[in-house]
Amino acid sequence: MVPFYWLLVFLPVVLLFVEKEWKTGLLYVAIYIGSYFGQVALQHELNPAESVLALMLYILTKILPTAILARYIVKTTKVSEFLAAMKRLHITDKLTIPISVIFRFFPTVVEESAAINDAMRMRGIEMGAGKATEAVEYRMVPLMASCSIIGEELSAAAMTRGLDIGKKRSCIWNIRFGVFDWLIMLVCFSCYVWWGIGRFFI
Amino acid sequence: MDNSNRLNVKDLINVGIYTAICAVICCVVAMTGVVPIMMVLLVVLVPILTGIPYMLFLTKVKKFGMILILNVLMGALMWVTGMSYYALAVGTVSGLIAEFIFRAGKYKNKWLGILAYAISGIYCWANYFGIFFNAEAYFSTRQKFGQEYIDAVTKLLPVWMCPVLLIVDIACGIIGGWIGTKVLKKHFEKAGIV
Repeated sequence: MVPFYWLLVFLPVVLLFVEKEWKTGLLYVAIYIGSYFGQVALQHELNPAESVLALMLYILTKILPTAILARYIVKTTKVSEFLAAMKRLHITDKLTIPISVIFRFFPTVVEESAAINDAMRMRGIEMGAGKATEAVEYRMVPLMASCSIIGEELSAAAMTRGLDIGKKRSCIWNIRFGVFDWLIMLVCFSCYVWWGIGRFFI
Repeated sequence: MDNSNRLNVKDLINVGIYTAICAVICCVVAMTGVVPIMMVLLVVLVPILTGIPYMLFLTKVKKFGMILILNVLMGALMWVTGMSYYALAVGTVSGLIAEFIFRAGKYKNKWLGILAYAISGIYCWANYFGIFFNAEAYFSTRQKFGQEYIDAVTKLLPVWMCPVLLIVDIACGIIGGWIGTKVLKKHFEKAGIV
Protein backbone atom coordinates (compact mmCIF):
# COMPACT_ATOMS: atom_id res chain seq x y z
CA MET A 1 0.00 0.00 0.00
CA VAL A 2 2.80 2.39 0.87
CA PRO A 3 4.25 2.85 -2.62
CA PHE A 4 0.78 3.57 -3.96
CA TYR A 5 0.22 6.10 -1.21
CA TRP A 6 3.30 8.04 -2.20
CA LEU A 7 2.49 7.60 -5.86
CA LEU A 8 -0.91 9.22 -5.42
CA VAL A 9 0.48 11.94 -3.19
CA PHE A 10 3.10 12.99 -5.68
CA LEU A 11 1.03 12.62 -8.82
CA PRO A 12 -0.24 16.24 -8.51
CA VAL A 13 3.36 17.50 -8.29
CA VAL A 14 4.32 15.65 -11.43
CA LEU A 15 1.39 17.31 -13.17
CA LEU A 16 2.52 20.69 -11.87
CA PHE A 17 6.03 20.06 -13.11
CA VAL A 18 4.65 19.20 -16.53
CA GLU A 19 3.05 22.65 -16.44
CA LYS A 20 6.47 24.08 -15.48
CA GLU A 21 5.31 25.31 -12.09
CA TRP A 22 8.60 24.46 -10.44
CA LYS A 23 8.34 26.81 -7.48
CA THR A 24 4.86 25.77 -6.29
CA GLY A 25 5.69 22.13 -6.89
CA LEU A 26 8.88 22.18 -4.87
CA LEU A 27 7.19 24.16 -2.09
CA TYR A 28 4.45 21.54 -1.99
CA VAL A 29 6.95 18.70 -1.76
CA ALA A 30 8.80 20.48 1.04
CA ILE A 31 5.64 21.23 3.04
CA TYR A 32 4.25 17.77 2.51
CA ILE A 33 7.37 15.90 3.58
CA GLY A 34 7.90 18.26 6.49
CA SER A 35 4.38 17.90 7.84
CA TYR A 36 4.28 14.16 7.20
CA PHE A 37 7.39 13.43 9.19
CA GLY A 38 6.41 16.08 11.70
CA GLN A 39 3.20 14.30 12.56
CA VAL A 40 4.92 10.91 12.55
CA ALA A 41 7.43 12.26 15.05
CA LEU A 42 4.67 13.65 17.23
CA GLN A 43 2.94 10.33 17.72
CA HIS A 44 3.55 9.46 21.31
CA GLU A 45 2.71 11.07 24.60
CA LEU A 46 1.25 14.42 23.74
CA ASN A 47 0.17 17.40 25.73
CA PRO A 48 -2.90 19.21 24.33
CA ALA A 49 -0.93 21.85 22.44
CA GLU A 50 1.17 19.23 20.68
CA SER A 51 -1.97 17.28 19.99
CA VAL A 52 -3.52 20.22 18.15
CA LEU A 53 -0.31 20.76 16.23
CA ALA A 54 -0.18 17.10 15.21
CA LEU A 55 -3.80 17.31 14.11
CA MET A 56 -3.13 20.35 11.96
CA LEU A 57 -0.14 18.71 10.31
CA TYR A 58 -2.19 15.59 9.70
CA ILE A 59 -5.01 17.55 8.09
CA LEU A 60 -2.40 19.33 5.99
CA THR A 61 -1.08 16.03 4.66
CA LYS A 62 -4.61 15.01 3.74
CA ILE A 63 -5.72 18.26 2.15
CA LEU A 64 -2.57 19.43 0.39
CA PRO A 65 -2.62 16.89 -2.48
CA THR A 66 -6.25 17.73 -3.20
CA ALA A 67 -5.56 21.44 -3.08
CA ILE A 68 -2.64 21.10 -5.48
CA LEU A 69 -4.72 18.99 -7.83
CA ALA A 70 -7.49 21.59 -7.70
CA ARG A 71 -4.96 24.28 -8.54
CA TYR A 72 -3.74 22.24 -11.47
CA ILE A 73 -7.26 21.69 -12.75
CA VAL A 74 -8.22 25.36 -12.42
CA LYS A 75 -5.03 26.48 -14.07
CA THR A 76 -5.10 24.17 -17.05
CA THR A 77 -8.79 23.84 -17.82
CA LYS A 78 -10.48 26.65 -19.66
CA VAL A 79 -14.15 27.12 -18.96
CA SER A 80 -15.19 26.49 -22.53
CA GLU A 81 -13.03 23.38 -22.67
CA PHE A 82 -14.66 22.13 -19.51
CA LEU A 83 -18.13 22.79 -20.86
CA ALA A 84 -17.35 21.11 -24.17
CA ALA A 85 -15.84 18.06 -22.48
CA MET A 86 -18.82 17.70 -20.15
CA LYS A 87 -21.16 18.06 -23.09
CA ARG A 88 -19.42 15.18 -24.78
CA LEU A 89 -19.85 13.14 -21.62
CA HIS A 90 -23.56 13.94 -21.90
CA ILE A 91 -23.73 15.61 -18.50
CA THR A 92 -26.58 18.07 -18.26
CA ASP A 93 -26.02 21.80 -18.53
CA LYS A 94 -27.86 22.27 -15.27
CA LEU A 95 -24.88 20.90 -13.40
CA THR A 96 -21.98 21.92 -15.60
CA ILE A 97 -22.78 25.62 -15.80
CA PRO A 98 -22.94 26.10 -12.02
CA ILE A 99 -19.75 24.06 -11.62
CA SER A 100 -17.89 26.18 -14.15
CA VAL A 101 -19.14 29.30 -12.37
CA ILE A 102 -17.86 27.91 -9.07
CA PHE A 103 -14.43 27.33 -10.61
CA ARG A 104 -14.38 30.85 -11.87
CA PHE A 105 -15.82 32.29 -8.69
CA PHE A 106 -13.81 30.72 -5.91
CA PRO A 107 -10.76 32.94 -6.42
CA THR A 108 -13.02 35.96 -6.87
CA VAL A 109 -14.77 35.43 -3.53
CA VAL A 110 -11.44 35.05 -1.73
CA GLU A 111 -10.02 38.14 -3.44
CA GLU A 112 -13.06 40.27 -2.75
CA SER A 113 -13.23 39.24 0.88
CA ALA A 114 -9.53 40.03 1.33
CA ALA A 115 -10.09 43.50 -0.12
CA ILE A 116 -13.15 44.06 2.08
CA ASN A 117 -11.20 42.85 5.08
CA ASP A 118 -8.51 45.44 4.39
CA ALA A 119 -11.07 48.18 4.01
CA MET A 120 -12.81 47.24 7.24
CA ARG A 121 -9.55 47.15 9.12
CA MET A 122 -8.89 50.64 7.90
CA ARG A 123 -12.20 51.66 9.46
CA GLY A 124 -11.22 49.96 12.67
CA ILE A 125 -13.76 47.14 12.47
CA GLU A 126 -11.74 44.09 13.31
CA MET A 127 -12.57 40.49 13.99
CA GLY A 128 -12.66 39.94 17.72
CA ALA A 129 -12.70 43.61 18.61
CA GLY A 130 -16.02 45.16 19.48
CA LYS A 131 -19.26 43.46 18.55
CA ALA A 132 -18.92 40.16 16.76
CA THR A 133 -22.20 40.60 14.90
CA GLU A 134 -20.99 43.90 13.54
CA ALA A 135 -17.70 42.39 12.41
CA VAL A 136 -19.53 39.64 10.54
CA GLU A 137 -22.26 41.88 9.13
CA TYR A 138 -19.88 44.51 7.80
CA ARG A 139 -17.93 41.86 5.97
CA MET A 140 -20.77 39.77 4.64
CA VAL A 141 -22.93 42.54 3.26
CA PRO A 142 -20.34 44.18 0.98
CA LEU A 143 -19.22 40.73 -0.12
CA MET A 144 -22.77 39.78 -1.09
CA ALA A 145 -23.27 43.07 -2.87
CA SER A 146 -20.12 42.87 -4.96
CA CYS A 147 -20.65 39.19 -5.73
CA SER A 148 -24.16 39.89 -6.89
CA ILE A 149 -22.89 42.59 -9.25
CA ILE A 150 -20.14 40.34 -10.59
CA GLY A 151 -22.83 37.74 -11.14
CA GLU A 152 -24.82 40.12 -13.34
CA GLU A 153 -21.71 40.76 -15.43
CA LEU A 154 -21.01 37.08 -15.65
CA SER A 155 -24.46 36.29 -16.96
CA ALA A 156 -24.14 39.06 -19.53
CA ALA A 157 -20.85 37.52 -20.64
CA ALA A 158 -22.52 34.11 -20.86
CA MET A 159 -25.29 35.57 -23.04
CA THR A 160 -22.76 36.95 -25.50
CA ARG A 161 -21.14 33.55 -25.67
CA GLY A 162 -24.49 32.10 -26.57
CA LEU A 163 -24.74 29.75 -23.63
CA ASP A 164 -28.50 30.00 -23.47
CA ILE A 165 -29.56 29.48 -27.04
CA GLY A 166 -30.27 25.84 -26.28
CA LYS A 167 -28.61 24.52 -29.41
CA LYS A 168 -25.45 22.55 -29.80
CA ARG A 169 -22.41 24.75 -29.31
CA SER A 170 -19.26 24.16 -31.25
CA CYS A 171 -15.83 24.25 -29.68
CA ILE A 172 -12.59 25.26 -31.36
CA TRP A 173 -10.53 22.82 -29.30
CA ASN A 174 -10.55 19.20 -30.21
CA ILE A 175 -11.03 17.45 -26.89
CA ARG A 176 -9.88 13.86 -26.89
CA PHE A 177 -8.19 11.37 -24.65
CA GLY A 178 -4.48 11.30 -25.30
CA VAL A 179 -1.78 8.82 -24.30
CA PHE A 180 -1.07 10.74 -21.08
CA ASP A 181 -4.69 10.69 -20.01
CA TRP A 182 -4.88 6.94 -20.40
CA LEU A 183 -1.58 6.56 -18.56
CA ILE A 184 -2.73 8.59 -15.57
CA MET A 185 -6.08 6.83 -15.51
CA LEU A 186 -4.25 3.51 -15.55
CA VAL A 187 -2.08 4.56 -12.60
CA CYS A 188 -5.07 5.71 -10.55
CA PHE A 189 -7.11 2.67 -11.45
CA SER A 190 -4.30 0.30 -10.55
CA CYS A 191 -4.32 1.83 -7.07
CA TYR A 192 -7.97 0.85 -6.73
CA VAL A 193 -7.23 -2.66 -7.94
CA TRP A 194 -4.37 -2.99 -5.47
CA TRP A 195 -6.58 -1.69 -2.66
CA GLY A 196 -9.33 -4.11 -3.65
CA ILE A 197 -6.95 -7.08 -3.64
CA GLY A 198 -5.61 -6.10 -0.23
CA ARG A 199 -9.08 -5.48 1.14
CA PHE A 200 -11.03 -8.47 -0.08
CA PHE A 201 -8.64 -11.26 -0.97
CA ILE A 202 -5.90 -11.23 1.64
CA MET B 1 -39.41 27.19 -26.68
CA ASP B 2 -41.09 27.59 -23.34
CA ASN B 3 -38.78 29.75 -21.30
CA SER B 4 -40.93 30.64 -18.34
CA ASN B 5 -40.46 27.47 -16.35
CA ARG B 6 -37.13 26.21 -17.56
CA LEU B 7 -33.93 27.16 -15.85
CA ASN B 8 -32.01 29.56 -18.04
CA VAL B 9 -28.34 30.37 -17.91
CA LYS B 10 -28.84 33.32 -15.61
CA ASP B 11 -30.43 31.12 -12.97
CA LEU B 12 -27.68 28.56 -13.28
CA ILE B 13 -25.02 31.24 -12.90
CA ASN B 14 -26.76 32.50 -9.79
CA VAL B 15 -26.74 28.97 -8.38
CA GLY B 16 -23.02 28.75 -9.06
CA ILE B 17 -22.25 32.08 -7.43
CA TYR B 18 -24.13 31.41 -4.23
CA THR B 19 -22.76 27.88 -4.00
CA ALA B 20 -19.27 29.33 -4.21
CA ILE B 21 -19.98 31.88 -1.48
CA CYS B 22 -21.53 29.28 0.83
CA ALA B 23 -18.65 26.91 0.16
CA VAL B 24 -16.04 29.54 1.00
CA ILE B 25 -17.82 30.36 4.26
CA CYS B 26 -18.08 26.67 5.12
CA CYS B 27 -14.38 26.21 4.44
CA VAL B 28 -13.37 29.13 6.62
CA VAL B 29 -15.60 27.99 9.48
CA ALA B 30 -14.57 24.34 9.16
CA MET B 31 -10.92 25.27 9.62
CA THR B 32 -11.73 25.85 13.28
CA GLY B 33 -12.79 22.21 13.62
CA VAL B 34 -9.39 21.13 14.91
CA VAL B 35 -10.40 22.14 18.41
CA PRO B 36 -12.76 19.41 19.67
CA ILE B 37 -15.48 21.71 20.97
CA MET B 38 -15.50 23.73 17.75
CA MET B 39 -16.01 20.55 15.80
CA VAL B 40 -19.40 20.17 17.46
CA LEU B 41 -20.15 23.86 17.15
CA LEU B 42 -19.77 23.68 13.36
CA VAL B 43 -23.36 22.56 13.23
CA VAL B 44 -24.28 25.85 14.91
CA LEU B 45 -21.94 28.20 13.09
CA VAL B 46 -22.34 27.04 9.52
CA PRO B 47 -26.15 27.41 9.34
CA ILE B 48 -26.06 30.81 11.01
CA LEU B 49 -23.31 32.25 8.85
CA THR B 50 -24.48 30.91 5.50
CA GLY B 51 -27.96 32.28 6.23
CA ILE B 52 -27.26 35.67 4.68
CA PRO B 53 -26.06 34.47 1.26
CA TYR B 54 -28.71 31.78 1.22
CA MET B 55 -31.60 34.14 1.84
CA LEU B 56 -30.24 36.44 -0.85
CA PHE B 57 -30.10 33.41 -3.10
CA LEU B 58 -33.72 32.56 -2.33
CA THR B 59 -34.83 35.97 -3.53
CA LYS B 60 -33.48 34.99 -6.96
CA VAL B 61 -35.15 31.59 -6.95
CA LYS B 62 -38.24 31.62 -9.06
CA LYS B 63 -38.14 28.22 -10.69
CA PHE B 64 -38.12 24.62 -9.67
CA GLY B 65 -34.70 23.02 -9.31
CA MET B 66 -32.40 25.80 -8.16
CA ILE B 67 -32.34 24.86 -4.48
CA LEU B 68 -31.89 21.23 -5.43
CA ILE B 69 -28.90 21.98 -7.65
CA LEU B 70 -27.29 24.15 -4.97
CA ASN B 71 -27.66 21.37 -2.42
CA VAL B 72 -26.32 18.70 -4.72
CA LEU B 73 -23.30 20.84 -5.49
CA MET B 74 -22.66 21.63 -1.83
CA GLY B 75 -22.89 17.94 -1.01
CA ALA B 76 -20.54 17.09 -3.85
CA LEU B 77 -18.06 19.72 -2.65
CA MET B 78 -18.20 18.25 0.86
CA TRP B 79 -17.49 14.85 -0.59
CA VAL B 80 -14.60 16.03 -2.73
CA THR B 81 -13.01 17.97 0.12
CA GLY B 82 -12.84 14.95 2.36
CA MET B 83 -16.08 14.61 4.24
CA SER B 84 -17.95 11.47 3.29
CA TYR B 85 -20.65 10.92 0.71
CA TYR B 86 -23.36 11.11 3.37
CA ALA B 87 -23.55 14.85 2.82
CA LEU B 88 -24.29 14.33 -0.87
CA ALA B 89 -27.05 11.81 -0.19
CA VAL B 90 -28.68 13.79 2.61
CA GLY B 91 -28.19 17.07 0.75
CA THR B 92 -29.99 15.76 -2.31
CA VAL B 93 -33.00 14.57 -0.35
CA SER B 94 -33.19 17.65 1.87
CA GLY B 95 -32.77 19.91 -1.15
CA LEU B 96 -35.75 18.25 -2.77
CA ILE B 97 -37.86 18.67 0.37
CA ALA B 98 -36.80 22.31 0.69
CA GLU B 99 -37.66 22.85 -2.94
CA PHE B 100 -41.22 21.64 -2.37
CA ILE B 101 -41.57 23.67 0.83
CA PHE B 102 -40.48 26.89 -0.85
CA ARG B 103 -42.59 26.16 -3.89
CA ALA B 104 -45.67 25.82 -1.69
CA GLY B 105 -45.36 29.55 -1.03
CA LYS B 106 -44.95 30.29 -4.76
CA TYR B 107 -41.30 31.20 -4.12
CA LYS B 108 -42.32 34.33 -2.28
CA ASN B 109 -43.23 33.47 1.28
CA LYS B 110 -40.54 34.65 3.69
CA TRP B 111 -41.27 32.16 6.46
CA LEU B 112 -41.43 29.21 4.13
CA GLY B 113 -38.10 30.41 2.77
CA ILE B 114 -36.57 30.34 6.21
CA LEU B 115 -37.97 26.86 6.79
CA ALA B 116 -36.64 25.71 3.42
CA TYR B 117 -33.21 27.02 4.33
CA ALA B 118 -33.27 25.23 7.68
CA ILE B 119 -34.25 21.94 6.03
CA SER B 120 -31.80 22.18 3.17
CA GLY B 121 -28.96 22.99 5.56
CA ILE B 122 -28.97 19.57 7.17
CA TYR B 123 -26.17 18.34 4.90
CA CYS B 124 -24.01 19.95 7.54
CA TRP B 125 -25.37 17.51 10.08
CA ALA B 126 -24.75 14.59 7.72
CA ASN B 127 -21.03 15.17 8.03
CA TYR B 128 -21.13 13.74 11.53
CA PHE B 129 -22.52 10.37 10.43
CA GLY B 130 -19.01 9.00 10.21
CA ILE B 131 -18.49 9.58 13.91
CA PHE B 132 -21.79 8.12 14.98
CA PHE B 133 -22.12 5.05 12.82
CA ASN B 134 -18.56 4.17 11.98
CA ALA B 135 -16.62 5.46 14.93
CA GLU B 136 -13.81 2.95 14.87
CA ALA B 137 -12.90 3.52 11.26
CA TYR B 138 -13.24 7.24 11.74
CA PHE B 139 -10.82 7.37 14.60
CA SER B 140 -8.41 4.79 13.27
CA THR B 141 -7.17 7.47 10.89
CA ARG B 142 -6.91 9.94 13.73
CA GLN B 143 -5.13 7.85 16.36
CA LYS B 144 -2.17 10.11 16.10
CA PHE B 145 -3.73 13.14 17.69
CA GLY B 146 -3.49 11.40 21.01
CA GLN B 147 -6.13 9.66 23.02
CA GLU B 148 -7.25 12.95 24.54
CA TYR B 149 -8.60 14.22 21.25
CA ILE B 150 -10.51 11.01 20.61
CA ASP B 151 -11.85 11.00 24.15
CA ALA B 152 -12.83 14.62 23.92
CA VAL B 153 -14.71 14.14 20.66
CA THR B 154 -16.42 10.89 21.62
CA LYS B 155 -17.42 12.31 24.98
CA LEU B 156 -19.06 15.22 23.21
CA LEU B 157 -20.70 13.00 20.64
CA PRO B 158 -22.40 9.89 22.04
CA VAL B 159 -24.93 8.29 19.71
CA TRP B 160 -27.93 10.00 21.28
CA MET B 161 -26.41 13.30 20.21
CA CYS B 162 -27.26 12.44 16.60
CA PRO B 163 -30.94 13.52 16.70
CA VAL B 164 -30.04 16.34 19.07
CA LEU B 165 -27.58 17.70 16.52
CA LEU B 166 -30.25 17.48 13.84
CA ILE B 167 -32.61 19.57 15.92
CA VAL B 168 -29.83 22.02 16.76
CA ASP B 169 -28.95 22.25 13.10
CA ILE B 170 -32.51 22.99 12.03
CA ALA B 171 -32.99 25.48 14.87
CA CYS B 172 -29.81 27.28 13.92
CA GLY B 173 -30.92 27.18 10.32
CA ILE B 174 -34.10 28.99 11.30
CA ILE B 175 -32.11 31.53 13.31
CA GLY B 176 -29.66 31.97 10.44
CA GLY B 177 -32.46 32.39 7.92
CA TRP B 178 -34.18 34.91 10.16
CA ILE B 179 -30.95 36.90 10.51
CA GLY B 180 -30.56 36.63 6.77
CA THR B 181 -33.96 38.16 6.09
CA LYS B 182 -33.24 40.95 8.59
CA VAL B 183 -29.95 41.75 6.85
CA LEU B 184 -31.63 41.63 3.47
CA LYS B 185 -34.24 44.08 4.63
CA LYS B 186 -31.72 46.37 6.23
CA HIS B 187 -29.15 46.52 3.45
CA PHE B 188 -30.12 45.03 0.14
CA GLU B 189 -33.68 46.16 -0.36
CA LYS B 190 -32.62 49.76 0.05
CA ALA B 191 -29.73 49.33 -2.34
CA GLY B 192 -32.01 47.77 -4.93
CA ILE B 193 -30.15 44.49 -5.22
CA VAL B 194 -33.18 42.49 -4.17
